[in-house]
This record gives sequence, structure tokens and C-alpha cells, in this order.
Amino acid sequence: MSSPIADLSYRHYEGVLEPPRHRWWAIAKTTMRQAFRKKVMWVVSASSAWYYLGMVFVMFVLDQIAANRAPNAPDPMEAFLLRIVWKDQFLHGFGFGQILFLLGALILGAGTIANDTRANALLVYLSKPVTKRDYLMGKWFGVFLPLLAIMLIPSLAFFLFGLMSYREKGFVSQDPLLFLKLLLMFPLGAAFHASLVIGFSSMFNQGRLAGATYAALYFVTNFFTQAMVVVHVNLTMGRGETSEAAKAALPIVHSLYYASVDGLNIGMAKAILGTAGSPYFGIPSRMQMVPAPPLLPVLAIMVGLSALMLFIAWRRIRAVEVVG
Amino acid sequence: MAVAQIRNLTVRYGSFTALRDFTVDIPEGAVGLLGPNGAGKTTLLKTMLGFVKPAGGSASVLGLDVERDERRIRQVIGLMPEQDCHIPGMSAVQFVAYAGELAGMPSAQALRRAHEVLEYCGLGEARYRNVETYSTGMKQRIKLAQALVHGPKLLLLDEPTNGLDPAGREDMLELVRSVSHGKGVNVLISSHLLPDIERVCDYVIVVTTGQLRATGRIEDLKKLEGQPLDIELREECPGFGDRLIENGFRVISAKALHWRVQAPGTPEELLPRVMKAASAAGAQIRGFGLAERSLEEAFLAAVGPQGGPQFHV
Repeated sequence: MSSPIADLSYRHYEGVLEPPRHRWWAIAKTTMRQAFRKKVMWVVSASSAWYYLGMVFVMFVLDQIAANRAPNAPDPMEAFLLRIVWKDQFLHGFGFGQILFLLGALILGAGTIANDTRANALLVYLSKPVTKRDYLMGKWFGVFLPLLAIMLIPSLAFFLFGLMSYREKGFVSQDPLLFLKLLLMFPLGAAFHASLVIGFSSMFNQGRLAGATYAALYFVTNFFTQAMVVVHVNLTMGRGETSEAAKAALPIVHSLYYASVDGLNIGMAKAILGTAGSPYFGIPSRMQMVPAPPLLPVLAIMVGLSALMLFIAWRRIRAVEVVG
Repeated sequence: MAVAQIRNLTVRYGSFTALRDFTVDIPEGAVGLLGPNGAGKTTLLKTMLGFVKPAGGSASVLGLDVERDERRIRQVIGLMPEQDCHIPGMSAVQFVAYAGELAGMPSAQALRRAHEVLEYCGLGEARYRNVETYSTGMKQRIKLAQALVHGPKLLLLDEPTNGLDPAGREDMLELVRSVSHGKGVNVLISSHLLPDIERVCDYVIVVTTGQLRATGRIEDLKKLEGQPLDIELREECPGFGDRLIENGFRVISAKALHWRVQAPGTPEELLPRVMKAASAAGAQIRGFGLAERSLEEAFLAAVGPQGGPQFHV
């Protein structure tokens, strides 16, 4: 009779067991690893750079036109550079990326607690030297860090491109603190999405339901924001003088514009960057932008909503069912 | 030495008292925690893990206090929960390696150990399959593998044969028995199945309605008071009873070929007297030994005449 080559009997593990600290990092790493196994996550990550790629393309085309223009003809690149506000390009990159950040948050976070609840995985986690805090932190960072990377990497790449190519064209002088503002703005946006999606995930035991609920909240509130854009455009671009009633309604419309997940993120970005925005791709337009909201109220709402969702998640993470 | 010491432990869920003034020392080796459903077995395990805070009393596991050192306790014990549990979207080897990492093993060692433990648990061939595609028996095995991966000193098994067919149950019990004997792992098995406990454990703790009812070695619990003897005859012999009484025995029961008798003295001293009675009655003895009650009888005696708990045999 042949015997197995390997010794299959039980042998006690005598190796290293690290002290029960920083378990959240093991959970975060695994959450990220699992998310990036999905191809759609890579597609979303790559797509998040589309506005910046568009800008680079526009500048390339204008550069080519400028190089081949007739002598004494106006330089379209110079006109373009005079027209654009550099920090607004990051605002647009962030704003246009919102839908992709939502998709990223759904892929990364919708099932992260919900599926664990369905599969009773909490018993596995909490029977190891992992606390509720480790678990929640691990899951949160597992969503936050990839989202931050998705948001930040294209923006930093564009920042480097601008810094190297257009330093003399006002890239730095327009806003010397731009880099620091970007470092504040993107983590806040990623943290907001991460907190909301983690909270929704903890409320359900199916990732799809959690994702559908978060997406529904996002789109319903975003529809409202878009409706306010229409009202804003009608009030500010109507023929003739703006009426007194319209003037009185505008602040309300502007406040309501920010009453959505998308609106809060854009409001926060505008407030941090200190801009109301400007036309996309530097295309001339008569459209007035919705002014930036004050930073503190926007931040308070974002922090409050994030804390509420994380509190819900905290309450729902349990290793034992309560009976009786 | 006791692996766990429980002193006057009371655990409540709201107004419901799951454990009431519970005191026990859990010895080393394979110990069965026996009781009907709802007796408080799982609550005791969860208290030992620090999942629930006691309303009163104290408990220590491997010398660590359950209220102060819950993380260190969880690092040196392994739990195989009663319910199906796994981490979604992972293959068996990823799942078990991840469980090892959560317990504090470095990644590379956790992965190597996951392969070893999966082989040991009989999942070597299926280790790259997603756990969600596993059968019930395989899911039980992977729960055991994730509990064993970090080399725990104490293994808590909550109804380890739940939902298994007879062959699967046999395999699981064999696996648990092998890990709990001679491998340096202490095992506490919670079950309401008497044969499972009898098969695997040397020591038993009986719990009903959140209270300790009996504790001790299984062989001691099965012993009957006064050391009666069981005698088995080859053929029926009506005069055998009278001859036994003449030789100083008290006949406790007689069912055809099976006699249970009692007399003062050791079995060695009594054997010649039994042989003498058999010879006088013309009976042929096939078997002779100390009488034992079944484990079910022992536990029904231990839990008293309430008629409440129903064990499965």
C-alpha cells in the first residue's frame, strides 16, 4: 500500500503570533484585494480620469493648431490659457467623476458588511482577536483607500502635467495652495462615500439590496440637484432683467442645489477650492455657475451624515444574536 | 489543570437569564458540554470568548480573564460556530489563510499553514474551490480548519456534527477525536447528541436551563452505585436466580439471559460465587462484568425527574 508523500496528520502551529493590534489593516487589505479582483473595478478606476484626459486632448489639439497657424493669426492656445481657471479643472474632474466614484463605492462597499452578515462571517472575524472597531475600521479603510486612489491619482497626474507644462502660464500663481487644497478635498469626498456605503451595507444582508438603496438615494437626490440647476439657469439666463422674486429665490435654489450626495461633495470641493466653477474645457459660455456654499455648514452636514451611518454600522455589527 | 474556571457566572439577555450562578472547572483534554437545545451551552462558549458580558460572577480561560483579556483569549482559542459561516467570495485556502492572518499569523505562514490544515481536514482536493459551493459536510470541515489554523490551545466546537449525514458525522467525530487526543489541543464540544459526546470526550459537563447539573468523567458517571454485576447466560435457566440468592446475591433485574445482581465485595471476589451458583443451577455463563448504565440513563438521572430535557441518542 502506498503512503502519502506529505505528512497529513495534525501538527500544532508553533510559529509567530503577532500581538492583537492593527488587525484592521489585515481586513482593509483583504477588502481591497477582493474588490480589485473584479474587472469592472479597473474599468471604473481608469474611467475616472476621463475629464483630465479630455483637457489634455483639448490642449494638445490647440497646441497643434497654434503651431500650424498662419503668421499674425491669433494664438488659440494663448486665448484658451487666458480663459481657463486651473483649479476649476480639478473641480470639474471631481464633479464629473462623481458617478464613477459612486460606482466605485458600490463595487467596493455595498456588499462589504451585508455579505458578511449573510454568510455569518462576523462570527469568524470576532472569534479571532479582532474587535468591532478593528472590523469597522478595516472595512471603512478597505473602501476609502481605493476610492481615494481612484479620485486622487488622475488629479495628481494632471497636477504634475500642469506644473511641468504651464507653470509660467499661471498654473501655480493662480492658486499657490492648490496642491494642499486637493489633498484636503479628495480624502473628504472619498471618506463621505465610504461612510455612506458602509452604513447602508450594514443595514442589509444582501450586498445588492444595500447597493440599490444607496444608488437610489444618490440618484433621487441628484435628480433634485439637477432640477435646481434648471431653475438656476432659468432664473439667471432669462431674457431681460432678473426680477426681484427671482433674486429672492436664488439663495434658496442655491442651497437646495447642494442637498444631495453629489451636491454636498461638489459644494465641499467648491468651498475648499474657493471657486464657483467655470465653463467646462474652457468653452466660452454665458452660463453663471452656482456659487460656492460656506465650507463649515457643508462640512458639518457631511461629517454628521458620515457619523450617523458609521454609528448605524457600529450598532449592527454583533457576534451574538440577542434572544428573549 | 483546568483550562477554564467559571465562578458563579450569570449571563442575561434582557430579562432572560441564559446562565444562572454557573460554577465549573473545565479540565484539560476532550470535554463535552451536554444539554438540550436552549440549555445555555452556546451562551457559555460566547461568554468564554468575550462576546457577551456576564451580569455576575467571573470566568477565566487559560488563565486569562474573559472581561479584561478577551482579545488575548481569542488568539489562543479557536471557535467552530454552530451556524454555517464563511467569508464570501473566497476559496477555502484564501479563507483559512485569512483566518490565520486575523489571528496574528504572518501572511506567508498563514498561507502555508492553511494548506496543511485543509489537508488534515480532508479538503485538500477542494481547497481552491469557492467555499460557497461547498456541501454541508465540507462547510463543517472548513469551519474546523479556520478554527485550527493558528494552532489554538483550546478549541470550542459548537454542535460540530450539525446537519451531517451518518458518514459525514462519523468522519467529523473521528477528526475531532484525533485532534483532541495526543495533539496538545484541548477541546470543548457543545452538543445535545449523547453518542457524539460519548465517542469523543472523556469528561462531561451537563447543563440544563442555564444551570450545572452534573460534571465528571464519563466512565464515572456511567457507574452504578454499589457496583452491581451484569451476568449473561448462554441459555435460559429458571433456577439460576434462587442459586444466586443462596450465594448471597440480591437480584436487581432478570431479563431472559441477562441478569443484574449485587453483593458486597469486589468483582474478583464475587466471580467464584457466581460460578458456584451457575454450576449449582446448571447454567452456562457467557459474560460477566461490572454493570454500567447507558449515558442517556446517567444524564437523565443527573438532570433529575423534571422530564424536561430530551437528549438524542
